[in-house]
Amino acid sequence: MISERTLELINADIDGELDPAGQAELEAVLESSSEARATKAELLKLTSLMDSLPAQHPPAGLESQIVNKIKLPSKKASFFNSGWFATFQPATAGMAFAAGLLLAVGVYEMSSDRSVSDQTASMVGTMIAGHSDSPGFLKNDMILQGDGFSGTISLRENAGVYMLNFDLDSKTGTEVEVGLDETGYAFGGFAEIQGSADQVVESVSMSGGTLRVVNRGHQQFAVFLRDNRAGKPAQAGTISIDFDQL
Amino acid sequence: MSNNGRDQALIERCQRGDRPALEEVVRLYEKPVFNAAYRIMGNPDDAADITQAVFMKAFERLGQYDPKYKFFSWIYRIAVNESINQLKRGKKQQPLDDTEVADTRGPEATAQAGDLSREIQDGLMELKEDYRTVVVLRHFSECSYRQIGEILQIPEKTVKSRLYSARQMMKESLEARGVY
Repeated sequence: MISERTLELINADIDGELDPAGQAELEAVLESSSEARATKAELLKLTSLMDSLPAQHPPAGLESQIVNKIKLPSKKASFFNSGWFATFQPATAGMAFAAGLLLAVGVYEMSSDRSVSDQTASMVGTMIAGHSDSPGFLKNDMILQGDGFSGTISLRENAGVYMLNFDLDSKTGTEVEVGLDETGYAFGGFAEIQGSADQVVESVSMSGGTLRVVNRGHQQFAVFLRDNRAGKPAQAGTISIDFDQL
Repeated sequence: MSNNGRDQALIERCQRGDRPALEEVVRLYEKPVFNAAYRIMGNPDDAADITQAVFMKAFERLGQYDPKYKFFSWIYRIAVNESINQLKRGKKQQPLDDTEVADTRGPEATAQAGDLSREIQDGLMELKEDYRTVVVLRHFSECSYRQIGEILQIPEKTVKSRLYSARQMMKESLEARGVY
């Protein structure tokens, strides 16, 4: 009967987990014990049998099935209300308007360290203070660039109507979620501006302060915003825009 | 068996919503996870279900993943737990049918290896789950004692004692079947 220690040494040796001291100890035991040698031979045979079995291949299609089912965190970008919306508050907005004027001076950079979080690392954009001397003037533009996904989002204002214009090109399809909860604005409408038969906005749904648009191919659409504050001062807040590649 | 730096970089990209990184992670770990589940469960259908469930859970809980631990240990732990939970739920344990799983060997070699694979799988299925899991991780997932300890969250000493006992049981089982 071989000892527990010898069994341990043999097993560890087979597993390649024996240190030099243990190796020397085992060699000495094997030299003097035929039972230890036989035990090692049997264990080697067993482990070789198990190790000889080839790895099995998962069923075809399982990989893509898994990938398609997993939803990753959204690539997220945000427009901060404090600058651009506050600039265009009606006179009743009072303090918010004044604060907005201060913040509206100059150019707002959406650099990677300021733009929300690391989640926007693949996106670049510039928020530009508007020029209120012409109708339909540029308010903000954001350029989006990701894997298989690119486009721009811009804010326009014309005769008191605010529009978020989306110009997106997505190889695989993208779900865009626009959230207005914190802004004091509500959705006033949706317009599909351009799209061929195979490049269409696939679905549009609205729930509470969130609008969801599923888009594929190159597509332009606009979301109209209406003032929902009923004369209350505007709150500083964020329009959130989430992108989920499908 | 894993490249932790590569895995960490991929996971960080996944956390930022990068789908190509997700595809790479699934490509890297689908087969190892499937094989571990296959040997613990004993049939390919359950292994495929478990593989899918493992990735779903892993990515649902990506926020809970602690990068100070190796990603492969984490995903293997989910795979082992998922397999054992499935066994406990009384899911069917069918004898291994190698014809259901893609194999690139010739018909004769496949038949012989199929017999051997079945015998070994039957021997594995006779082991209690704790012992079977250690054997699977060592011989079919090629994990070291330390890695097995990390995956199962047990001391290395326990890994060794379970593995050595399991081998003895497997040897006796295969001898009784006349495998050698």
